Amino acid sequence: MAAVAGQILAGVLLVLIAGSLAAWALLRPWRSWRQRQERSLFEHALKHLFTREHGGEDATVDSVGDAVGISLNKRQGLVTRMADAGLLRSAAEGLHLTVEGRQYALHVIRAHRLWERYLADDANVPMGDLHRAAHRAEHRLTPDEVAALDAHLGYPPTDPHGDPIPRATGECAALAGMSLTDWPIDKPACIVHIEDEPEVVFRQILAQGLRPGQSVRVLERTPHRMILTDGVEEYRLAPQAAAQLQVAAPPQGEPLDTHGLVRLSDLPDGREAEVIAIDEQYRGLGRRRLLDFGLTQGARVCPELRGIFRDPRAFRIRGSLVSLRSEQASRVWVRPIDESQQAA
Amino acid sequence: MTDSRPPVTSEQVLARADELQRKLGERFRDQLVESLYTEAQRIAGRAVRISESSWASLDRRIDRVVTSRVLGLPIMLFMLAAVFWLTIVGSNVPSAFLAGLLMEEGGLSGWLSEYLGVEQAPAILSMSLYEVLHWLFAVVHMPSWLTGLLVDGVYLGLGWVVSVMLPPMAIFFPIWTILEDLGYLPRVAFNLDFLFKRAGAHGKQALTMAMGFGCNAAGVISCRVIDSPRERLIAILTNNFMICNGRFPTIIMLATIFVGAAFPPALMSIAAAGTVMAVVLLGVLFTLVVSYALSRTVLRGEQSAFALELPPYRRPAILRILRTSLIDRTLFVLMRAMATAAPAGAVIWILGNIDVAGKSLALHAVDLLGPLGYVMGLDGVILLAYVIAIPANEIVVPTMIMVYLGAGRMTDVESFSQLRTLLVDQHGWTLLTAVNLMLFSLLHNPCGTTIWTIFRETGSRKWTIFGALMPVAIGVVVTSLVAAVVRLFF
Repeated sequence: MAAVAGQILAGVLLVLIAGSLAAWALLRPWRSWRQRQERSLFEHALKHLFTREHGGEDATVDSVGDAVGISLNKRQGLVTRMADAGLLRSAAEGLHLTVEGRQYALHVIRAHRLWERYLADDANVPMGDLHRAAHRAEHRLTPDEVAALDAHLGYPPTDPHGDPIPRATGECAALAGMSLTDWPIDKPACIVHIEDEPEVVFRQILAQGLRPGQSVRVLERTPHRMILTDGVEEYRLAPQAAAQLQVAAPPQGEPLDTHGLVRLSDLPDGREAEVIAIDEQYRGLGRRRLLDFGLTQGARVCPELRGIFRDPRAFRIRGSLVSLRSEQASRVWVRPIDESQQAA
Repeated sequence: MTDSRPPVTSEQVLARADELQRKLGERFRDQLVESLYTEAQRIAGRAVRISESSWASLDRRIDRVVTSRVLGLPIMLFMLAAVFWLTIVGSNVPSAFLAGLLMEEGGLSGWLSEYLGVEQAPAILSMSLYEVLHWLFAVVHMPSWLTGLLVDGVYLGLGWVVSVMLPPMAIFFPIWTILEDLGYLPRVAFNLDFLFKRAGAHGKQALTMAMGFGCNAAGVISCRVIDSPRERLIAILTNNFMICNGRFPTIIMLATIFVGAAFPPALMSIAAAGTVMAVVLLGVLFTLVVSYALSRTVLRGEQSAFALELPPYRRPAILRILRTSLIDRTLFVLMRAMATAAPAGAVIWILGNIDVAGKSLALHAVDLLGPLGYVMGLDGVILLAYVIAIPANEIVVPTMIMVYLGAGRMTDVESFSQLRTLLVDQHGWTLLTAVNLMLFSLLHNPCGTTIWTIFRETGSRKWTIFGALMPVAIGVVVTSLVAAVVRLFF
């Protein structure tokens, strides 16, 4: 009898151990998934509250719920949980961020905008895809990782859309500029910001070829459309799209006068030239690489080799031979040196 | 001496730094680089004299030839074929030597009579390390299962990996490093950039692919030369489409006994070599297609900078090359491969020697994998060998032969004709089996060492799993399609 009882006991123990192991193995991923969901809900809500406060409006339970996209009966619960966590407090007129809540919100915004800058500068992700990717990444990054990213990118002041990136200290510069719809006709302007929501309109603006940092001039404005030019191309925008562009006066003096200059990609083989400038809109890793090879103002450059299908080309720069694709070479403005001068 | 100013706190310093830093503006880096170059140019202008005649006129002439539209690609293909030929032919003798020393019955006597014509080998050379170990284990009365597990399993697994992998790597890596040092490899990247540009990838991927022929793990590590993260990831994920040294013997064996045998003896080796080259080029094609697909879907992005310096041609520094290529690359890779091959050896022995219900575990697994094998135009044994050989591709063929022969340990047969009899006459291999095995050898999961390296380089579990499963999924689809088409029409 004792032997049988012992075996039953052992069997029960085994089942218990195996069962709890299985439960642990199944529940752990589920719980961490739940935690991640909760974290991203909190963070979206914080961003919404922050934007509202920044714009001088009050957030409400319903505006939070709409912003994060949860159903009516879950909204109050979310706000209560966030209030319990000390991130916000409810007042009669609406919801307000606490000091901790504001810091947290700034961290999320900082992570989002730095990640966009990283994707645009180092990974060459197209503008239209940035927002969605950063929307996911912002919840994963820790403050230490964000600080490392900031240092890696050289403390950029703005994200690729032109939004200011909050500093680690919590300061956030105000967006300089005014809506394109209010900008006077014919006055030179520089695009400082393109709003990425609504996304459909944002993609239309990008598809036209407009980018932050670009110098433009308004040619014509009617109630139905707006015509811009950057000196080469003409862009037609609906008033609704124009409202998504923020412009300011161009930063320093006149834009580059390209008269008498050619793009490095158009320089004939064997013709020596002097580097004048690298396109201001060419930023990030690509620009750094060009600078590293010594493509600085005043350097002499001469195309020497062509690839099998005419591209890439190899250029003699400061004594070394460097291969560049035509997209990169077209970002460099050079002034060809006269044949007679070259011989002298 | 007293300082009347109040002490400055670190917060104030940081705030001031932050404030100043923001004033620098985005042009700061440009100005910094410009001033560095201006200063360097000023110093160089005073100190360095360049005489135009000696200045690389030979270099320019060589460059015109190796990057010319007519000769550029043929020269490159010729160099590639020459490197393969040297590696394969050059490693035959040392591989046979290592196999004799480490594993074969009769030790080095077989190698001595075949390559040196010595008929009577000295007694001390007539015993391989494998036999010595067996003898030692018998002397101390080890239980037979332990002898089997350690000597027939773990030790033989290691022996195979070393004898198959070490000689080709010890030849390939130095040649590769010489070409790199000479300055030829950057010109290859320059020549091939048009392909990678179209695939949305980086021109330097050509270099990492060339490295992948030596070893995919080394190829994955070499992806560090690509500075843009998106294109580096593409290069890492597609490196496995390059046939590495561990997989070459399988392809060569199949090319010789199935394709080469169909030609008259004079053309045999050329036909076999051509087949190997065709598989290699198919791998390049898959690399480009998959790179294109990745850069249009999950790794969307515009082509980034491809800025590559084409250095002046230099005489290679032989001693440094030998040191870096043998120690940093060959030994490093060999150690990683041995660490993963040892447990695989034990698993193979267990599968081959533990019987359940009258059949070895290996045969049960073969039955299980049989249907999938049939769909893919292969068979259960081949699939089992690939599952077991995840740690190291070198042991695919010995494992296959072990299961076919019903032997209890990894083994080899004496000659290609015996192998042909075993595979074709006894186990029903057809040309379809051979072709699909070549395809599957090209398109299957990376070996354990490479998977581990992908994880180390990307730091991401998601991309590691993707990098491991994507090629094998492509392999299953491609072989199944080929099998279905062949069965439908022939």
